[in-house]
Amino acid sequence: MLKKIFPIFEFLTSHRFHAMLRKEFAQIRRDKRLAMSLVVPPILQLLLFSLVLNATVSDLKLGVIDESRTPESRDLASTLTESKSFQLAGYYYSVERLGDAISRGDVDAGVVIPKDLAKDLERGRPVTVQFLLNAMNANTASIAQGYALGVIRSWNQGLAAQGLHASFRQIGAPQVSRRGQAVMTRAFLFNPGLESTWFVVTGILGLLIILNGSIVASAAMVKEREAGTIEQLVMSPATTSEIIVAKMAPLFLLLILMVTGATAFIKLAFNVPFNGNLFVVFCGACLCTLSGIALGTVIATFSKSAQQAQLTSFFVNPLLTTASGAVTPAEAIPEWLQPLVRVNPIRHFSVIARSNMIKGTGFEALWLNFLVLGIFTVLLVTLSVWRFRKMLS
Amino acid sequence: MRRIFAQVRKELIQILRDKRALGLALVLPMTQLILMGTAISLSVKDLTMAVQDFDNSPASRELLGAFHQSITFRTIPFAPDRQPEEAFVTNEARAVLVIPAHFGRDLARGRNTPVQVLVDASDSNTARLIEGYASQITAGFNAANANGAMAAPVTAAIRYWYNPGLSSKKFYGPGMFVLVISLFPPLLATLAMAREGEQQTILQVYVSSISAHEFLLGKIFAFMLIALCDVVLLLGLLFTYFGLSIAGDPTPFLVATILYTFCVAAFGTLIGAAIPNQAAAMQAVAMGGFLLVFMLSGLIFPIQNIPVQIRWMSNLVWGRYYIDIVRDFLLQGGGWPAEWWKVGIIGLIGGIFYLRAWLTMRRMQLAA
Repeated sequence: MLKKIFPIFEFLTSHRFHAMLRKEFAQIRRDKRLAMSLVVPPILQLLLFSLVLNATVSDLKLGVIDESRTPESRDLASTLTESKSFQLAGYYYSVERLGDAISRGDVDAGVVIPKDLAKDLERGRPVTVQFLLNAMNANTASIAQGYALGVIRSWNQGLAAQGLHASFRQIGAPQVSRRGQAVMTRAFLFNPGLESTWFVVTGILGLLIILNGSIVASAAMVKEREAGTIEQLVMSPATTSEIIVAKMAPLFLLLILMVTGATAFIKLAFNVPFNGNLFVVFCGACLCTLSGIALGTVIATFSKSAQQAQLTSFFVNPLLTTASGAVTPAEAIPEWLQPLVRVNPIRHFSVIARSNMIKGTGFEALWLNFLVLGIFTVLLVTLSVWRFRKMLS
Repeated sequence: MRRIFAQVRKELIQILRDKRALGLALVLPMTQLILMGTAISLSVKDLTMAVQDFDNSPASRELLGAFHQSITFRTIPFAPDRQPEEAFVTNEARAVLVIPAHFGRDLARGRNTPVQVLVDASDSNTARLIEGYASQITAGFNAANANGAMAAPVTAAIRYWYNPGLSSKKFYGPGMFVLVISLFPPLLATLAMAREGEQQTILQVYVSSISAHEFLLGKIFAFMLIALCDVVLLLGLLFTYFGLSIAGDPTPFLVATILYTFCVAAFGTLIGAAIPNQAAAMQAVAMGGFLLVFMLSGLIFPIQNIPVQIRWMSNLVWGRYYIDIVRDFLLQGGGWPAEWWKVGIIGLIGGIFYLRAWLTMRRMQLAA
């Protein structure tokens, strides 16, 4: 009865299809290299990426030129180096020497405390302290700038609170007409410890699925062609859709197994919180895996050998990886690449995994990501089936 | 000598005939540099900031205006009856600014008033940047608001050396240049070498009168030439598209470039000689060239952030030294005093690769 209504059931329960499925599973089981390539690279990539891709800026080496040499200047210097942001690299006696040290990389930042610091503070004149930052790395420089300004601000407040320099306050307008200040308080939600691995690890999951999925799939698809057994497949009574589905099924299962393993690994090794319903991530992973396999199949149909397929993926994979926002923020990707970001399966899966695991976002807020991922998957699978058919005939 | 040149010519002819290899040699490096050099960046701008203004006074609107005008934030209104966390859960905003009621009145009375900035910290680096920008904008608002009366006793004047515009393109461009040079020329070299083994044409080499040194040097010089072509093309991109220029003495860079191209070509040849299977050899080079140089050479994130247990590994990665030299050449201009030992190490690593390849090849006969 069921078979009559849904042709798909007839398809899935047919003998021919089962035979094909058995053949593919047996083939995969014997392929040691494929099994290895599903275990070793993912773990290595997860470990390396999450340990190494760490943008935290701390312990910047600070060189100090103290021209003032007074208790005040020493206090300022020690306030700077006491924080976790800077560490004292040494005192310098001329700007040239400090400049050399910066260009050699011995020092990341320099501070020049002017000669008249104490005297000017006493007289109530504003003082300017100069910071020299090695700004080659723009990210480090903007964070270091934030640290430096923060330390100076709190030192200023300390000065005012101690009342050490009472004269300074008098030059300000009289207390009555003084306007209040906006005091910014900030709160980091969902990751108060600013654990940087959480961002990277949740992004890498999508990278792993697409990159490994497409490589494994293209290798498996092209194998038949390389060995010349593809003619026998065409001659067999199995239909093309049976061949394709039977080829994809074991890969799909293996990759899902890999994702499950990787998810367990990031929970155990990096303590990523699972605030959401993992079923949401699982659904996203299924779609993402399908599109990875389809991508690999498309690549395989354009190649005659495993080596050619690999070369082709050198053209495709970097594009998908860089325009994904998996390990760097997607907002930082330039305008002209944003269209690619919007359709990229890695991007959508990383949004799904990250929001769901860290923030507990459910289907209701992620439906757009699922929709785009779904459309992309369906398109890619259709394309791969069409290409594969063309190759078979 | 003549036999080396013959070998070089043969390799170059083979590459020129293979369209895919030619694309890999010349086109892909350039597109990769543009792609990765601009797309990989941590400097965010245009972040959505949801705003809840419970005061709605001239003062609060002024503060909002300050946030609105910055290039970092794009402010969107957020319904006052919703919890700020919702903005993060639904991925509507990266930060929420909450201005309390009576904000303007308290300011006018000379009372300090808190404004709250909530940050979605699931991306910790961006969260830190947001905090820094937000507190600077607030400080600017305070300074403008105080009519100069409340000038802070000590102000910081910050000067950005080597990259005054804080352009991340200028930092990642040279890094990606090194990555591309460390990936594609050795990939081609390894393919050429593994092909000889796979198709058994290596036998013809064995029976010819060529020596192992001549054979290897011929291969290496051919791929050095391709790498040098890449260097010229990519430098052209760095000078135009990335807006970089020569910062100081170019001789350390020139010497290091010649040594480095030798180093990567020798690396590719070595892998190809050791693994006579094109697909497997290619994977090995991709792992070595891409993973090691991408991860362990301070390309994106500083080396100091790598945990101590595995940081020593980065000392073995050849790309690390060349990245320093290229950045010095294009940004810092420290010249020989700063870079001489790095040039030496690159030469040393190249020598080791060559020696290892020679040890594999020296008998010039099939393994028994």
